[in-house]
Amino acid sequence: MDLPITTLALIAVFCPLVLSLATLLLPRSAILARTLVSIAAAVISVAALVTIMVTQGFNLPTVAVPFVPTLDISFAFRFDQLGQFFALLVAGMGIFINIYARGYFGRDRDELYRFYPTNGFFMTAMVGVVLSDNLLCLLIFWEMTAISSFLLIGWDREDKTAVKLAMQAFITTALGGLALMAGLILLGLATDEWTISGVLASDLSQVNKGLLNAAFLCMFVGAAAKSAQWPFHYWLPGAMAAPTPVSAYLHSATMVKAGVYLCARLYPAFRHLEIWPYVLIGIGTLTMVMGAYLALRSTDLKKIFAYTTVSQLALFICAYGLGTFDHTSHTDHHAFAPVDGASIVLVSEHNPPIESAADEHAAPASQENMIWPIVQIMNHALYKAPIFIIAGAIGLLAGSRDIRKLGGLLRSHKLLAWLCLAAGYAMAAGPGTLSFNAKEAFLYQIYHAAQEHPIIWFVGAAAVFMALVNVAVFVRLLTTFAGLRGSMEADVQEEEPHHHHEREGGFWGACLWWPAAFLLAFQFIGGIFAGPFSRFVSQIETHPNYWASLPWSWQIHFNTPPIYLSLLAISLGVALALSRVWRTFWKDPHDNLYPGFYWLSVTGGGRAFRTIQTGNFRHYVVFVLLAALAGVIASATIRPELLHWPTGPDVAPIYESWPGLLIAIVICVTALLLPIVQQRVVRVLILGSTGFSVTAMYLLYQAPDLALTQLMFEIISVVLFLLVLRMLPDYNPRPKNFKIVGVRIIVSAAIGLSIGWLTYVAATTDLTGVQKLGDFFIANSYQGTALTHGHGGGGNNIVNVILVDFRGFDTIGEITVLGIAALGVWALLSKRDAEDLDFEPVENALDIPGNGGPGISSLVFRTTQRILLPLSLVFAVYMFIKGHQEPGGGFIAGLIAAVALAIFRMATGPGALLRLLPVKPERLIVLGLGLALLTGTASLLFGLPFFTSAHGYIGSGVNQVEWATVMAFDLGVFLVVTGVSIGMIVRLSEELE
Amino acid sequence: MTLLLAICVAVIFGVSIYLMLSRELKAVAMGVFLFSHAAHMSILSMSRSPIIATGIKTPPILVGHGEQLANRPPVDPLPQALILTSIVISFAVMAFLLTLLVLTQRRAGTLEVDLLAKEQLP
Repeated sequence: MDLPITTLALIAVFCPLVLSLATLLLPRSAILARTLVSIAAAVISVAALVTIMVTQGFNLPTVAVPFVPTLDISFAFRFDQLGQFFALLVAGMGIFINIYARGYFGRDRDELYRFYPTNGFFMTAMVGVVLSDNLLCLLIFWEMTAISSFLLIGWDREDKTAVKLAMQAFITTALGGLALMAGLILLGLATDEWTISGVLASDLSQVNKGLLNAAFLCMFVGAAAKSAQWPFHYWLPGAMAAPTPVSAYLHSATMVKAGVYLCARLYPAFRHLEIWPYVLIGIGTLTMVMGAYLALRSTDLKKIFAYTTVSQLALFICAYGLGTFDHTSHTDHHAFAPVDGASIVLVSEHNPPIESAADEHAAPASQENMIWPIVQIMNHALYKAPIFIIAGAIGLLAGSRDIRKLGGLLRSHKLLAWLCLAAGYAMAAGPGTLSFNAKEAFLYQIYHAAQEHPIIWFVGAAAVFMALVNVAVFVRLLTTFAGLRGSMEADVQEEEPHHHHEREGGFWGACLWWPAAFLLAFQFIGGIFAGPFSRFVSQIETHPNYWASLPWSWQIHFNTPPIYLSLLAISLGVALALSRVWRTFWKDPHDNLYPGFYWLSVTGGGRAFRTIQTGNFRHYVVFVLLAALAGVIASATIRPELLHWPTGPDVAPIYESWPGLLIAIVICVTALLLPIVQQRVVRVLILGSTGFSVTAMYLLYQAPDLALTQLMFEIISVVLFLLVLRMLPDYNPRPKNFKIVGVRIIVSAAIGLSIGWLTYVAATTDLTGVQKLGDFFIANSYQGTALTHGHGGGGNNIVNVILVDFRGFDTIGEITVLGIAALGVWALLSKRDAEDLDFEPVENALDIPGNGGPGISSLVFRTTQRILLPLSLVFAVYMFIKGHQEPGGGFIAGLIAAVALAIFRMATGPGALLRLLPVKPERLIVLGLGLALLTGTASLLFGLPFFTSAHGYIGSGVNQVEWATVMAFDLGVFLVVTGVSIGMIVRLSEELE
Repeated sequence: MTLLLAICVAVIFGVSIYLMLSRELKAVAMGVFLFSHAAHMSILSMSRSPIIATGIKTPPILVGHGEQLANRPPVDPLPQALILTSIVISFAVMAFLLTLLVLTQRRAGTLEVDLLAKEQLP
């Protein structure tokens, strides 16, 4: 089968997700099929990865599949050593975990039904994390792993503690994820590269160092949260609430290594930063010691192993910090010198420094050769996953995971106990295991680095402490299981181990332990046959010759100091395990961090909220206004010239226009009367007169369209106001509180004056020589210019052309808002609501007689409106048609029609209006919106952009009539405006009756 | 003209905010209503005074086949287009607000801001 590489990449990443989701289609009883499909998904993923590796090697350029092309985000995957190694680790472990899950959950069909899709989701996310080249995609996959981890920790949804711990893990890692996002964005902005390969290839010496430091620190917080480093380490032991397959997979072998992966990934880019080694080594050493100590003070097997995982992860983080020291000690390169692969080779007395492959390959990809702990990471997965698998099996079969209750396990569960001890032996890095070699290599490197940087002895001490704790844990397991002296069991009253479930036998029952045995076998094969194994593994090691520098297990040089460190660790570990020191359970004080944080944000936030959110509308208005005022004051402080009296060409004396002065006086006087007058009808009339004066102001400002619209708007508003006021009770004024009135006057005067002043300053700024947007519309309204490729709007009324043509898309949005507002009114005033609440409209509110009857009973009014209605409607049509060339248009025509119909409604009552209208108002809105949208999309049929207009002429000479496609759009506007206004009036007046 | 408009803006803004801070929601609604007038006039002032040295600018309406009158350029049409849609939207907002007033009166039995703040509505 010869698949293109892109397909293979997609299969490798997405196959687990797709296939495991597909298992949801299987009936719940199809346990076998479900298990086999899920295992196959992981196998296919591994096969795809191996195919890529075998056929393409590691120098495959980035494989990209567009994801969000407009944002330049693509599923870009890179198959270099680091990515391939991690991807293979994840997918390969996935096979065994899926097998183990079948053994662990037994024949519980519901559990398996849920587990496989969630686990497949995680697998895809994790493979995505380690293969992603795009920074943003990396982040997406990263967060996906956090979500799947959350789902899996809170597996038992009835268990409140588990759900709480799941939240704790999720919030901790998600906050880390936010930090990572900030870091990735900073890195992207600093380097202007949004792929990892791009960042690694760019010359970082040109980049702002402060930005780079900030990016590194943010990303490290993300990595530390994921990899459970201090102070975030508390979530990992908590995550042990998850079923054991999850603990073995996510929380020891794969997901928690994402932070380590990130450090490895960024090592070539960030290692020249001065803070890199200090941050990594500092946090790493601290976590190493703390994790190891906490492991000794725990009693639950899973918790013990969780804490040793924490310290082991810290060792990896530390190692990447040490890499820099080693580098600087062997070269004279200045910081930020081009990455030189050769200089980071582990130097050994037995093997001369090895020239790195970096010299042979000029490609940037080969320059990021990692010094090491790739094999360390594999080694860790090969003993930690089995030890968890066995711990889970012990929990199921022996009935407890508490080490104090597991005395004599060697007799009752021989196989499990032996397997657990074998895994523990590997964890303790006993001779003959892969761990032993890995530990020797680490101590070896520390020893050499410490020759030049004595401070590294500090790390060495931490590593020895960690090693001795691992030994102690193993010895404790051994003594307890075998019932020897030093056993842990004595402390608790022994319970008869009881079997919770009848476990099934046969092949699937054996799945509870054989994946662990299989993985453990590699530990011993790798330890004993170090030579062949190393040749096999070194193909994927990022430094190809790394393995060659290791001492073989039968060639231990007893005269080299690192071996003394090992012996020291072993003897101290055994002594510690046999002594009575550090045996009792001790609660990690960091476990209070998250609950404290939770309390602070929920309780503290609630208190702060209740303090600010008084629920009083007036307080909110004052808050908002004071903030606005603060903004004005701040800008006046920054730019004092804002306070100078304007002196531009646009400044003119106040008496420039006598009609203007007159109208302004009317506006101000009517407005100032409003707060003084108390009768509400009079108030509404004054409000109307202010509006009409504003209309006159529009006329003076040469805005006929505005004046017409405002006029109609004012009429309808006054009518609506009167209608509504009729429904509301009169307000009986109480004695005024003069202190409050004083505050009101001060606040409103301050705001009014500052906005008025800003308006004046803005409107008189000297704009000589500045190109104004308005000029574009004036030039292109009819004819069009080069800018519009000669396609003008074909209209003389520039305002109308802007509305229906240039800004047609906005207008669509605006009429949609209108429609929504009308629907809101309809929904709020549903009839049922009125009946339920037994509402009685307030009588005698308005002096219009005969409400509830067929309409207003004045004969003059009713007779006039009969003539008025057809005339107004015709006028509306006229205004609509002329709108593109002269004042008018859909908005105005719609309002005119609405006013005419509203008057008709008042004279004749509701029935007559609904009979008169061919369609209901709400349908008018839908019709209008549809028409407007259709007009916009029509241009797509001709291959033109959305809302491209066309216009032309019919006839010639005097009879020439212009047409334009925007007329149809304007008709839509007309219909919506009419429907909305009429609908609201009808609905509100129905409410009244 | 600009100065006149600015004064109108200041007065209407001031009055509208004074009303918004009143004890009763009806007055608040009137304040919101006035607020839009002030905002519109503030935007309109950005089209600059229509009075220029050569006379008065024409409305933003071209003549014939898109020609302008000599010496009499049209005023800036953009603020007008913005205000036109804003007028219609403020109409819709106002109608919605009035409906809310009716509902508030029905459910809470009062329109007094201070009482409403204490009311525990379902």
